[in-house]
Parts: sequence; C-alpha cells; structure tokens
Amino acid sequence: MSQKSQPDLGRVALLETMRGQGKEWEVLAPCYGVTNPNPPWKTSLTAMCDSLDASGALAALDRRRAEDELAEGVYSDVPAPESQLLALVHTMLNRGLVAEGELASRMRTVRSRLEAV
Amino acid sequence: MTDTPKYGSSGADQCHKAAPTVGEITDFEILEIAVRELAIERGLFTADDHRRFTEFAESIGPAGGSRLVAKIWTDPAFKARAMQDPVKACLEIGIDWSKPTGFGTPSDYTHLTILENTPTLHHVITCTLCSCYPRPLLGMSPEWYRTTNYRRRLPRWPRQVLAEFGLILPPEVEVRVEDSNQKCRFMVLPVRPEGTENWTEEQLAEIVTRDCMIGVALPRPGKTADVHPVHKARRPVHSSHQEEGAR
Repeated sequence: MSQKSQPDLGRVALLETMRGQGKEWEVLAPCYGVTNPNPPWKTSLTAMCDSLDASGALAALDRRRAEDELAEGVYSDVPAPESQLLALVHTMLNRGLVAEGELASRMRTVRSRLEAV
Repeated sequence: MTDTPKYGSSGADQCHKAAPTVGEITDFEILEIAVRELAIERGLFTADDHRRFTEFAESIGPAGGSRLVAKIWTDPAFKARAMQDPVKACLEIGIDWSKPTGFGTPSDYTHLTILENTPTLHHVITCTLCSCYPRPLLGMSPEWYRTTNYRRRLPRWPRQVLAEFGLILPPEVEVRVEDSNQKCRFMVLPVRPEGTENWTEEQLAEIVTRDCMIGVALPRPGKTADVHPVHKARRPVHSSHQEEGAR
C-alpha cells in the first residue's frame, strides 16, 4: 500500500462538531415518522464517490481502505451512512483535495441558502 | 349543476396526505452539499459527472437480478447464454453494464460470473478488500455487506454467519465463499424452489430477493422481502457494573 493511501486518523475539528448531536438519520427519521432507510443525500454521496473515482481524484480502493479504518476508529460511534460521509470528507481533507477553512465557510453559505425564506 | 366533483376536490384527494419528511436541515446534509460544490469548483469532477452517477445510482436495484434469475429458471437456452457470457445476457433483460459512462463506473465494469447453486452446493459472496458488489444487477449494496464484520467473518466462519441471517444449511451442503474484487463480480443463482412449477417469470422474480442473490437467503414461495431475524441474547449481559461505573 502506498504511503498516500494511509489515512490520518487524527481528529478533524470541523467534523468533531457534528457528532453526538442526535442528528443521524437513524435517530432523526423516526422522530418525523419517516420510514425511508436512507437520508436524501445518500445517493448524492454515492455519486460523489463514483465521480471522484472516475476522475482519478480519489480511487475507490483508497477511499474504502480509509473508510474502513476511520469507521473502526475515529468514527466508530457514528452510524452509516453518516460515518461514510465523515470518512470521505476526512480523507479529502487529509489529501488536500479541500481545505477545512473553506469547507467550514462553504457550510455556512449553504446553510443560509437552504434556510432562506 | 352536477354532483361530479371538480378535479382536486374529490373525497379521495381531500384525504390524501403527503408522506412525512424530516423537517430540519442537518449538518450532514449541509456537509454533503458543501464538499460536493467545492469539489466541482476545484475540478475534481464535473457537475455533469455527478448528475450521471446520481441517475445511475437511482436507476439500479435488485429487480434486474431477480428478472435474470427468473429467466434463467424458465428458459434453458437463455441459461446457457447467461452462464457463458453473463454481461452479454444481461442486455437481453435490459441491463447494460457499460452504463453510465460507456465503460461502466470505474469499479463496476467487470467480469461477471454467475455462481450456480445445486442441492449440495451453496455459494455466498463478499468482498474482503472493500465492498465490491454487482451493482448493475443488484443495486446499491446493503449496509451490512459493507461492514468489516461481515467481510472478515464470512470467509472464516461461513456457516455461522449464514445462520445469523437465519440460513442454516445441513452439513452435506458444501458452502463456498466467493471473494469479489474490483474487476470480478459474482451473483448467486439459487436453486429454483419446489412449489413454483408452472409459475410465470414475473411470479418467480418476486421471490428472488436481493439476499438470495448474495447467498445469505434462499428463495421460497410466499417470501418476497428480505427480513433478517433478530436474535435475543441467550445470556444477556447485565449492565449493573456499568451503572455503578457511571455513578
């Protein structure tokens, strides 16, 4: 295995803030009487993984290796598919594909856009 | 004036209630959107790539595999073609492994092998390396298929793992575990169950569930959904020591 494919198992401050809020789909969906087993963003997440693989930006095998290690360590208390999302972003941050600061900023922008009335 | 209700005001329409939705926006939803937008802006992939892969993911499901098995069970000539060249035979039932790019997805354009079960041989599939799965035929893999628990334990203790799915095979039935990889995918062809004589392909397809084609279940008349048993612990661990520790 190449050095590059080894995930950094350290904590990511931005992602740490999302844990333990009881907002995982398996917790939230029953509160609203929703029976769909997957959140609405799951298909988009799958397509993002395929797109990264197809472009060569992040090979599926490297991503899955990192996901396995992160899901058993850093995100062992997070259910799927949230753990898959956190592991993907964690890996993208580690590889410099996106930066934590710009991601935090973009998250604020997206939230204000989605909550606009 | 007639009694005919106007469109949109019939009793049935008045009773219609939209399916419930989650009424809040979570950080996870925001994160998925934000990282995707940044990835597109940085040129890691295009919005069009993402749209095509999304459409692909939404278009696939286990129904394709169910149709394939039902046709194999009822059409000996098709079975011969399918066993010889499964990817080509899939085209006959409308499944094109080259979608959505013309060469599949990087991890899906593969060599497909159909594993035929017999009364004395049972196959079950996994991917010990990651979670390779015959997506064009079976759709997205179930979450348990992706877990390291299933992937590590199945090759070592296949009968034990199958029993946890409620599938207990007699000792005279040989169990073979096939390990998928990025270029080789497998699908299990179950034995056609008794009591399905003279059934149509459509009837047969209904009982060929996703789990039957993974190999963790067997088809049987009347069973049209995958239901996993929940085993109660025989000797549950009491948590009194944990409660003490929390004090």
